[in-house]
Amino acid sequence: MLSSIRLQNFRRHTSLNLNFSDKLNFIVGGNGQGKTSILEAIYYLCTTRGLNSKSDIEVLKFDEDSFEIEATFENLSKDSVRIFFTRADSKKFYFLNNKQVNKSSEIIGKFPVVVLTPADHSITQGSPSERRRFIDSVLSQASRIYLNSLIDYNKTLKQRASLLNLFREKKTRNLLTEIDAWTEKLVISGVELIKQRTRFIVEFNKYISDSYSKVMNGEETPEIIYSSNIQETEAPLEKSFFELLNIKKEEEIKKAVNLVGPHRDDFIFKVNSINLKTFGSQGQHKTFQAALKFAEFFYLKEMTGSTPIFLLDDVFGELDSNRAKKISEYLRTVGQAFITVTDFANFSFIEREKSDVFVNLNNRSLIYA
Amino acid sequence: MQIAEPLQIAIEELNKLPGIGKKTAQRLALHLIKSEETYVDNLLNALKNLKIKLRLCNRCFNLSVEEFCNICQSNKRDQQTLCIVEEASDVIAIEKSLEFNGLYHVLGGVLSPLTGVTADSLHIKELILRFEKEQITEVILALNPDTEGETTSLYLAKLIKPLGVKVSRIARGLPIGGDLEFADEATIGKAMINRITL
Repeated sequence: MLSSIRLQNFRRHTSLNLNFSDKLNFIVGGNGQGKTSILEAIYYLCTTRGLNSKSDIEVLKFDEDSFEIEATFENLSKDSVRIFFTRADSKKFYFLNNKQVNKSSEIIGKFPVVVLTPADHSITQGSPSERRRFIDSVLSQASRIYLNSLIDYNKTLKQRASLLNLFREKKTRNLLTEIDAWTEKLVISGVELIKQRTRFIVEFNKYISDSYSKVMNGEETPEIIYSSNIQETEAPLEKSFFELLNIKKEEEIKKAVNLVGPHRDDFIFKVNSINLKTFGSQGQHKTFQAALKFAEFFYLKEMTGSTPIFLLDDVFGELDSNRAKKISEYLRTVGQAFITVTDFANFSFIEREKSDVFVNLNNRSLIYA
Repeated sequence: MQIAEPLQIAIEELNKLPGIGKKTAQRLALHLIKSEETYVDNLLNALKNLKIKLRLCNRCFNLSVEEFCNICQSNKRDQQTLCIVEEASDVIAIEKSLEFNGLYHVLGGVLSPLTGVTADSLHIKELILRFEKEQITEVILALNPDTEGETTSLYLAKLIKPLGVKVSRIARGLPIGGDLEFADEATIGKAMINRITL
């Protein structure tokens, strides 16, 4: 668990020290008081990157030259992570247990984290690429093999697109044979990816229905359907992949773009067998987004053996009180979570426990309640 | 801080070498200042000769002093088996294993259209000509198991197989004498898939 955090010149916070509970931690404050910055700092320390892929300069306090953030984790052992950024070097320095580490990868993944923010609406409402990014991120965190396959496939895509482009300028027979080789590589790596995604979705659906029933009253059944442009029919995947590539060959050359493969996959979210994206209500979208993140949390916990930290940014404000109550009850089961709320008075349904920590940021003063 | 110019230049040049950081470069330069002059002369000659005396073998593109490299000139090597590698450094690695007694062909890279490397920029045309001139019956592809290396293997297999030559790729798996627990997941995964019946 994350036991304490220290921020210096990070966003609005000149200097801030916070101690946390291993249960729920509520960060209360009006707009612009720096609630989200605290979640952002936690996210930074776990992943070395900003939320919503903001740049390092953006989180530095205006008019300051450097920021420093530090977290203490108490799991089986006690660990500290410190990140120091200077405007002059435009570079971050990482320290694990006060020893400088050169690669961010030595920190990434050590303290897994799951975030639920209003920006997650794009997962259920946005384009297929948003859903692929979510699925890829969950799978990559759980499986090193998947991450390797994904990197390999993406590299193949880039190389092949570049070759298609070359061929468009200079049509030679030799280059055509080369395209065939890259096509074969695309199929080998692509099939690997499709197989792993297929297996994952079967497994992940169990986590989704479990989480969804906890957030809702169990009257709706959620489901994720993996929708790839390459389908396994009687023929093996490889064959369908090659056939589709053959059909699209001329178009691919004309456009110099990879038109076939798992980089064009989609994942269809359904509630009671009805397509969420087209027919879902706002409430159903919100519930599904929360269920996805809870499912990610429990899946990662199961697969990696370590309990992620759960960050919820401004989630309750957008939910009706019944769903919000359900979610807050469900949160009790995850372990440690950090929740930002604008005004606690509006959330009287949330049951408080003695061990919870309340950080009140109003009026720029810090009150533990 | 002011550093004497000759030292500064030496540090900067050494720093350009792969694997040599600023600090190591400085240590090397200072070490050379203290060394005997004959040693520095020998080192200079050795470095210069790398460029003057070495060339690429006319047949296999391995590093060579003469028109043909030692391996191509040897009559003890199996003239029917050909091992295809990326760089001359790979020849050295395989030679050290003492497990291969055939001939080599050094491609000089792998296919990578992103960085402008297509088949034309590699020694592939010369490779195909060797099948006409020589009696090669078997080809072993020993390229790196990364995206570009694998694709190059697939490409070469497409070219060579129709010539009626046996084509294989070197196996991948766990390092000998290595601990299973320290191997990465991808290597263990591949080793599982490519397991051997006893």
